Amino acid sequence: MTDGQSLALDVSALSAGYGRFDVVHDIALKVGPGEAVALLGPNGAGKTTVLKAIMGLVSQRRGSIRVAGEDVSAFPAHRVARGFAAIAPEGRRLFLDQTVEDNLLLGGLHLRRDRGRLQTLLKSVYELFPVLYEYRRRLSSYLSGGEQQMVAIGRMLMSDPKVMLLDEPSVGLSPVAVGVMVDALLKLRRRGASLLLVEQRIDVAVRVCDRLYVMTHGAIVDEMTPDDVRNEGLSIINKYLG
Amino acid sequence: METERIEAPRATPALAGAGFRPRFRTIGLALFVAAYLAATALVAHSDLGVQSLVLVAAVFGVLAISLDLVAGMLGLYSLGQGGFFAIGAYFTTIVVNSLGWNVFLVLLIVLLIAGLIGLAVGAMSLRVSGLYFAITTFIFTLVLTVLATDLKITGGLQGLLGPAFPDFPEGLESLGTPVAWCVMLALLLCVGFVWSIRQSPLYPVLLAIRDAERFAEAAGARTSLIKIGVFGVSAAMAGGAGWLFSFLGVVSPGQFDWAVSLNILVMVLIGGINTTVGPVIGAAFVSMFPALVNINPWLQEMVYGALSILAVTLLPGGVMSLLRRVAAFAWSAPPQAEFAVSAINRADAPVEASLFRKFASANAVAAQARGSEPDYAVECRGVQFSYGTGLMVLRNVDLAVKRGDIHGLIGPNGSGKSTLANVIAGRLQPLAGSTLIKGMRLDGASPSKRAELGMRRTFQAAELVRELTPIQNVMVGLFSLKPRIIQRAAFWPLLRSGRRDMAWMEGRSREALEMVGAGAWVGRAVGDVPHGVEQLTQLASVCVAGPDIIVLDEPATGLSAREVDHLAEILTHLKGHGVTMIIIEHQTRFLFPLCDRVTVLNAGEVILTGTAEEVRAHPVVRQVYLGELDE
Amino acid sequence: MLQFVVSGVAIGAVYGLIGMALAITFYVTRIINFAQGQMMMTTVMVTAEVCAAGYPTWAAALLGLGCACVLGVLSYLIAVRPILAFNRFSFGWLVSTLGFAVIVQNAAAYIWGPTSQAFPSMFRATSFHIFSAVMTGQQLLAIVTAVVLTVVFELVRRGTLFGKIGMATAADPEMATAVGVNTTVVAIIAFAVSALYAGVAGLLIGPTTFANPYLGDTFGTFGFIAMMIGGGTEKPIAAMFGGLLLGLCAEGANAMINSQASDWFPFIVLVVVLIVSPRGLFSAGSLFRSRGRVVAAAQG
Repeated sequence: MTDGQSLALDVSALSAGYGRFDVVHDIALKVGPGEAVALLGPNGAGKTTVLKAIMGLVSQRRGSIRVAGEDVSAFPAHRVARGFAAIAPEGRRLFLDQTVEDNLLLGGLHLRRDRGRLQTLLKSVYELFPVLYEYRRRLSSYLSGGEQQMVAIGRMLMSDPKVMLLDEPSVGLSPVAVGVMVDALLKLRRRGASLLLVEQRIDVAVRVCDRLYVMTHGAIVDEMTPDDVRNEGLSIINKYLG
Repeated sequence: METERIEAPRATPALAGAGFRPRFRTIGLALFVAAYLAATALVAHSDLGVQSLVLVAAVFGVLAISLDLVAGMLGLYSLGQGGFFAIGAYFTTIVVNSLGWNVFLVLLIVLLIAGLIGLAVGAMSLRVSGLYFAITTFIFTLVLTVLATDLKITGGLQGLLGPAFPDFPEGLESLGTPVAWCVMLALLLCVGFVWSIRQSPLYPVLLAIRDAERFAEAAGARTSLIKIGVFGVSAAMAGGAGWLFSFLGVVSPGQFDWAVSLNILVMVLIGGINTTVGPVIGAAFVSMFPALVNINPWLQEMVYGALSILAVTLLPGGVMSLLRRVAAFAWSAPPQAEFAVSAINRADAPVEASLFRKFASANAVAAQARGSEPDYAVECRGVQFSYGTGLMVLRNVDLAVKRGDIHGLIGPNGSGKSTLANVIAGRLQPLAGSTLIKGMRLDGASPSKRAELGMRRTFQAAELVRELTPIQNVMVGLFSLKPRIIQRAAFWPLLRSGRRDMAWMEGRSREALEMVGAGAWVGRAVGDVPHGVEQLTQLASVCVAGPDIIVLDEPATGLSAREVDHLAEILTHLKGHGVTMIIIEHQTRFLFPLCDRVTVLNAGEVILTGTAEEVRAHPVVRQVYLGELDE
Repeated sequence: MLQFVVSGVAIGAVYGLIGMALAITFYVTRIINFAQGQMMMTTVMVTAEVCAAGYPTWAAALLGLGCACVLGVLSYLIAVRPILAFNRFSFGWLVSTLGFAVIVQNAAAYIWGPTSQAFPSMFRATSFHIFSAVMTGQQLLAIVTAVVLTVVFELVRRGTLFGKIGMATAADPEMATAVGVNTTVVAIIAFAVSALYAGVAGLLIGPTTFANPYLGDTFGTFGFIAMMIGGGTEKPIAAMFGGLLLGLCAEGANAMINSQASDWFPFIVLVVVLIVSPRGLFSAGSLFRSRGRVVAAAQG
């Protein structure tokens, strides 16, 4: 993990925000290839802003963001989206007036000339979420919350990104649907995906990830492993979460 | 975090005004009025060319003020001003020319008619928001222009010759042209009118309706009625401008079409939106533009088009923002002491415990003294809610909050907590079920109605007016406590009661801010204070009214550990004075020690209600919410 | 009776095209381009000018459309994009697009003078009889063109990747960026296409109105009414239906009431429509199209 070239995501000294103030300050985080890393923290800590800054979706950012060795910190969002990073955003943000398959294909926009690869990716998404194949011609607005989350993750997969950013995929899901989501994330990990997962549910993060960052007030304040949490109990995180 | 510094804030205009001694302000005003009257006399004696140039500019000044009243203070971009202008001008011309009525009687009728039509148009177009308001008012002007062109009575495209303005009574002829006095005094009146509003406690309320409507509503303002009412006043003012305009020459459709409405907007934007004199400056510039740039008319129009594009793209604050920047540079305001970002960490900002008694609700204290029969402050029975996309957000939710309790509401994101808060506060109407406040069924009652019953709420992301100071924001919370604020706003500074109430409201708001420990921040715009102070300002705006029920939506979000402790202290004091609170929160470490009872929501359903210990012990809560590991 | 239907549909098709032009840019950027009518005027003026210089009509028309597209893109770059960068100041486009319109219109008046010039007729002699009504070749061309352009628009929007990108940009620009859409390019294309539609409308109506620099105002207004009646703010195709209805109302009023009625009757229709159904007649969620959404099984 010391070799900068091999990291899926390497963020250092990142400050970002929207208006007159930065929301996050001096963020440094790394995601190795095939690694899953969680970003935990209370509401308002700036977790979403970190993800958006990596995607290039905030109005101001400073610092360095490298994806698979390439410096993307000056790229506009639509270039970052071309195979570097992809996001399954908070609230899912599907294109609700389009079908499930169209949503997925829009995710693979930059591969539009590579039909074969697109089809392979599409197939792998349907393998991961068989129910989406069944619903592929439906308008995405007609799906349930859990199914919509699947589409959001599928859309992210379709661009075949070097690093995947997931913003609270468990929000608003029933316990059963959360279980399905966790299984899917574990499957993705077995396929070798590199994940940066923002979560509020510590149990999900602990089950899925190799390392956990803790964020409060726009800064990363601690880093630990799931084993630390298992051994020492929740208190080592809860002291930050309140 | 603690080390971050914020640049020194610029003083807001209202505050700068308050800094002057009242006597200096009175003298300044008297000087201004005297100078204005002298200038008017000059105009009234000058030749016809100059006069018509100045008077037309003044009439457009009135129009621009009428637009700024709705666009600047309420964010309603009306393109109907040209229409009301036309109503005033045509009505006056036709009635005075054919019936020979007294022009001042006609003025009253014009104001009334234009105002009523304004109310009707406002009521109709405010059903749809933002852009559609601009579009409907645009269509209103379009239709009126077509009518003016096609009706026989309006003289078609040629238009009508306006009536003559009556002469001065004997002895006053030496004053010069009467219509000049009339127009210039009308402009002064309108400037005075909006200036008064800006000095009154209505001003922060209007801006709150513009920027944070839910906040204004929760403070007891009937926001839709106020919007419609102010639009009616603005329409009457534009109608009055039409009345003035009819004395200046020919009245024809081309003077009122939709391009004129947009030009009025250009005037406001060039001069400076939401300023008292900016619109007048803009109006003078735009209407005198042809005289200033005396070239081929088509080229001149092209220059004008280019200028208006440049104005909105390069100088969105208008001339006034430029002047202000120059003034700030010239005076080079001494840099204020820097504050650390975390205000509450400052030793000199403790909670003012002694002040809580002052803000205690009479109701709550009485209930507390009675020993309080076991009644419920808030009840929900079988509440169902859906945002219409299919997913049920709340399913059959029952909730009973005892009077004087702090009742916690926890659950994962998306479990429906905020939705439930909105249902309780009246912001959302449930599909089924009912909410009761102090035993009264309140189905369909608005948030402002609930505010009158003593219920207040805070919002997850603080809803405040960022360009105003914390004091002005907290004053919004006092809106429903003083009578006839709206009626008095038009001449607020002239009223003894106005000055007294303003001093009282300012004092009380300051105290409320001191009470929550934000007293050090009263002099800045809310946009320049750190997040924690924003949250405290929000809390102060709620406490200042002495409510007996408060709904808090994630008050600890984004606060530091010390700020959270500070918040807990405030809430404990409030509880000590009998206030019932419903707190939605994630941070259980902050919440559980405060709460008498806690309700857990998940996926729109109540999982259980119990004491903090019972909730903590519940296996589902441990797994789903606290993230306990089931291994 | 039938005569007014024929002429109403023909003129309505032209209104509908301008309405669609307004709606396309609104769909992608959420602003109403007050300069839209000027694109139409520019096409008409340039075509007339080039034709008068002796070039073939088709070349003149193509050049006219090209100029309109360039102007459309310029209106985006000059009057819209800088404003959308200021988020908090979101109504400035009211002023800047009008300012752009003022510049274009007065430039045209400055260059070509304020009077009307001849415009080449495309199907001068041909006319058809449909029962008792007469339809000129020009009218037939207008109707056919409008149908073709409407169908093409819908097919592209729903059936092609570019259409889907446009829909995505309209629905959620930020998310569209996050999947790799360059929204600036999408907006530029949308403005060019809408200028093209307005320009085509100009070619269709030019032989009737002749070439005049003030055409843009009148037809821009009628296009706006078409969009509002139809509900084109939510669905561009609805603006075409609105235009047809508007054309029928205007010609119908001329036939039934008096020859001046088309000046004001459409406005009455507009007001009534807006009172009954503020979002237009043919949009989703309007009176005629309130599709009851099935409550999806909420499994979570």
